[in-house]
Amino acid sequence: MEEIGKVSNPVWKFFASVKLTIVFLVLLAIFSVAGTMIPQKEGAMEFVQRLNPTTFNLMDFFGLFDLYHAGWFRFLIAMLVLNLVVCSLERFPSAWKRVKARPSVERTKPFEELPDTLLISTERGYQEALGNCLNLFKKRFSAFRSEETEYGTFFLAEKGRFSPLGVYIVHLSVLVILIGALAGSFFGFEGFVKIPEGETVDSIMVRGGNQSLSPGFEIRCDKFTVEFYENGSPKEYKSEVTFLSGGKEIEKRDILVNHPATFKGITFYQSTYEKVAGKELRIKLRKGLDEDLETIDAEIGKKMELPGKEGFFQILDVRHMGTVPAALVSVEIQGAEPTRFWIFEDFEHIKSRLPAQMINSPKFDPAAFKPYTFLLLGVQERYATGLQANQDPGVPVVWAGFILIILGFIVTFFTSHQTIRMFVENKGKKTVIRVTGSASRNRPALDRDIQRLAEDIRSLFAA
Amino acid sequence: MTSSAIISYLTFVYFLAFVFYLVMMVMGRRLPGTLATYTLLGSFAAQTAAIILRWQESYALGMGRAPFSNLYESLIFFAWTLVLLYLIVEWRTKNKSAGAFVTPLIFLALAYASFSPNISSKIMPLIPALKSNWLITHVITCFLGYAAFALSFGFSLMYLFKGNDSANNTASFLRLIPARGILDELNYQMVVIGFLMLTLGIITGSVWAHSAWGSYWSWDPKETWSLITWLVYAAVIHSRLVRGWKGRKIIILCIVGFACVLFTYFGVNYLAGLHSYATS
Ligand code: HEM
Repeated sequence: MEEIGKVSNPVWKFFASVKLTIVFLVLLAIFSVAGTMIPQKEGAMEFVQRLNPTTFNLMDFFGLFDLYHAGWFRFLIAMLVLNLVVCSLERFPSAWKRVKARPSVERTKPFEELPDTLLISTERGYQEALGNCLNLFKKRFSAFRSEETEYGTFFLAEKGRFSPLGVYIVHLSVLVILIGALAGSFFGFEGFVKIPEGETVDSIMVRGGNQSLSPGFEIRCDKFTVEFYENGSPKEYKSEVTFLSGGKEIEKRDILVNHPATFKGITFYQSTYEKVAGKELRIKLRKGLDEDLETIDAEIGKKMELPGKEGFFQILDVRHMGTVPAALVSVEIQGAEPTRFWIFEDFEHIKSRLPAQMINSPKFDPAAFKPYTFLLLGVQERYATGLQANQDPGVPVVWAGFILIILGFIVTFFTSHQTIRMFVENKGKKTVIRVTGSASRNRPALDRDIQRLAEDIRSLFAA
Repeated sequence: MTSSAIISYLTFVYFLAFVFYLVMMVMGRRLPGTLATYTLLGSFAAQTAAIILRWQESYALGMGRAPFSNLYESLIFFAWTLVLLYLIVEWRTKNKSAGAFVTPLIFLALAYASFSPNISSKIMPLIPALKSNWLITHVITCFLGYAAFALSFGFSLMYLFKGNDSANNTASFLRLIPARGILDELNYQMVVIGFLMLTLGIITGSVWAHSAWGSYWSWDPKETWSLITWLVYAAVIHSRLVRGWKGRKIIILCIVGFACVLFTYFGVNYLAGLHSYATS
C-alpha cells in the first residue's frame, strides 16, 4: 500500500486513519447523548425559560436546542464521511488485488508440518489413488484447478473470493443512506391536511412554516370511522378518501394507521381526527318566549319560510364554539337588511358563563327578530380526519441503502475467502495425500471442513 | 396455570441455575455444571411453552396478537433469546463458565418483569400504531441483538476477571474461565451478531415508523439511543483493525456499549419522565 503516491499528502494521511474513525464515531455518540439530555425544539420552550440569558444565548449560538440539525453536527457527519471515503479508497485497491489474485497451484510450503490427521498414506498405485482423489475433489468443489508435476499432482479450490469486498459494500451503503437522507431534507416536505367528512381540500399546510402548498390535485374525505376495544382504547382509525383532479374522481383509497396511501408522489398517513359540526341541524321556533311553533330540520344554505310568511330564514354556518355547537341564523325580509345572529345549543346553560356584553349584544340574541325566538336543538356531528401529507424523494434511496447494508454484512461476516489445497504425491510403492487450507475469517470452520475432507479420503482407501 | 404465573416461578428456577453455575465455578466440580445446564434447558423449555401459552391467551381474549408488545413481554422475550443464545454458545464452546455471568442477567430480567410494581403483565389490546408486521420483526431483531450484546458483556467481565497471568491462577473459579485470547474471539463474535441484529432492528424500526407516522427517522430519544449504541459497537468493530488495540480498550468499549443497550431499553423512559417532572 505504501507505494501509492497519495500517501505523502498529509491531509489524505490524516483521513486515512481508522483511529480517526473511532474518534469520530465516539464523538458522534457523545454529542447525540447530549441531544437526548437537552430538550430539543418544541420541547425546549419551558426549559429555556428557566435559563439565564447568557446561558441561553451561548446554548442557542451552538444550536443546542436543535442539535441534530446544527451546522457543526452536520460538519462532524461530513468529516466522518470524508474519513470513510478516504479509508475505503486507500484500501480498496489492495482488496481488489486479493480478489483478482490467482494463487499458484503448485506450492509445497503449505503442506509442510501438517498434523498426522491431514496426511493419508496408501499402498495403492499413484494413478488409481489420483483418480479416486480427483473424483472426490470434483464432488466437493464445483470449480478447482490442478497441476501435474513429475512427483505428484496439486489441487486448489477457492471459495468466497469476493468476501474482501463486503466491507466496501457496507461503507457504500452508509453513503447511500446519508445521500437519501440529504435528498429528503432538500427536496421533500412534511405537511398536514384536515378534512371534514364530505369536504374536499386542495392545499396542504407545510410544517415549520405558515405557508401552504398546492399539490395539484384535490382530496375528499368520504368517511371517517374509529373503532374501540371493550376497554375503551382505540382499535382502528380509518379514512375513506377520494383523490380528484379538476373535480374528476381519480382514485378511492382507505387510509389506516400503518397503511398510508400515496398519490402523485405525496403520501398520506392517518394521524389525528376530531369531531366537527355537520351540515344538518334541528331548530325550534317559538313565538315570544314560550309559545312553541314548530321544529324544523334545517341544512346549511337552505332557505325556509318563516311561519308568519314575513320572509325567509337560512342557516349560514354551523360550528363548535369551544365545545358548544352554534349556528349562524340569517333572517331575510324583502327590502330590508338581513338580521344575523348566533344561536347556541343549551343556551340557558352557557349564558352564565358568557360575559355580560356578549349576552346583551344583538349578535347573540336568539330573539333578535321579533316576534320569534330561535332555539338550536341539535347539530349533526361528523368527523374531520387529520392526515399527515409528506413527500420524501429520498426514501427509495434510503431503502436501497438498507438492503445494501444487509447484503454487505452478509458478505463481510458470513463469507470468507477460503483456499483448500490437496497434494497427491507419488512415492513409488506408496501414494501420500495431504490436505490443507487457509481462510480470511472463521478459521475453525475451515479446519473442520479440511478435517472432514481428510477423513473422507482416508475412508476411500480403508477398504 | 397462566403464562405469567409460569414466568414468575421460572424466575426462581433461573436463580437456581445461577447457583449451580456458581458452585461449579467455586468447587471446580463437574456435577453442578451438568445440573446447571439441565436446569437451564428445562426452564428454557418451560419458558418457550409459557410464551406460546401467552399467545394463545391473547387469542382467547379475542385480541390474537404476538406476545412482544409491551415492556413485560419484551423482558420475557429478551430473557428467552439470552438463554437460547447462551445455550448455543455453551454447546459450541464446550465451556460452562460464562453461565455464571449470564444467568444473573436472565434472572434479573425475569424478576424485574414479574415483580416490579411498574410493570403490568396484563395482556392489553394493540393500539393501531402497533399493528404492523414490521413491528414484530423489529422487536425480534432488536432483542436478539440485545441478547448478543449481553453475552458480549458477560465475556468482557470474564476477560477482566481472568487477568493476565493465567499460570498463577490456582483458584478453580479463574481456571475454568477460558484464556483471554479465546474470550476476545468469543466476545467479537457476539458483537458481530449483535451489531448485525441491531442494524436490522434499526432498519425494521424505521421502515415501521415510516409507514406509521410518515417519517423514518425523527431523532426521538429511543431512536437516538439505539443509534448511539450502534455507533459505539461500530467503534468496537473498527477497533480490532487498529494495530495494537486488542484486549482492554475493546473490552471497555464493549462495556460502554452494553451500558448504552441498557439505557436504550430502560433509561429512555426515565428521560421522558425526568423531562416532565422537571417542569412541575
Ligand atoms: C465513517 C467512517 C468509517 C471509516 C473511515 C471506516 C473504515 C473502515 C476500514 C478502513 C475498514 C477495514 C477494511 C479492511 O479490512 O481493509 C473497515 C471495516 C469495516 N467497517 Fe468501516 N468505516 C467507517 C464506518 C463504518 C460504519 C458506519 C460501519 C457500519 C455499518 C462500518 C462497518 C465496517 C465493517 C463491518 C467492517 C469490517 C470489519 C471486519 O472485517 O472485522 N464502517 N472500516
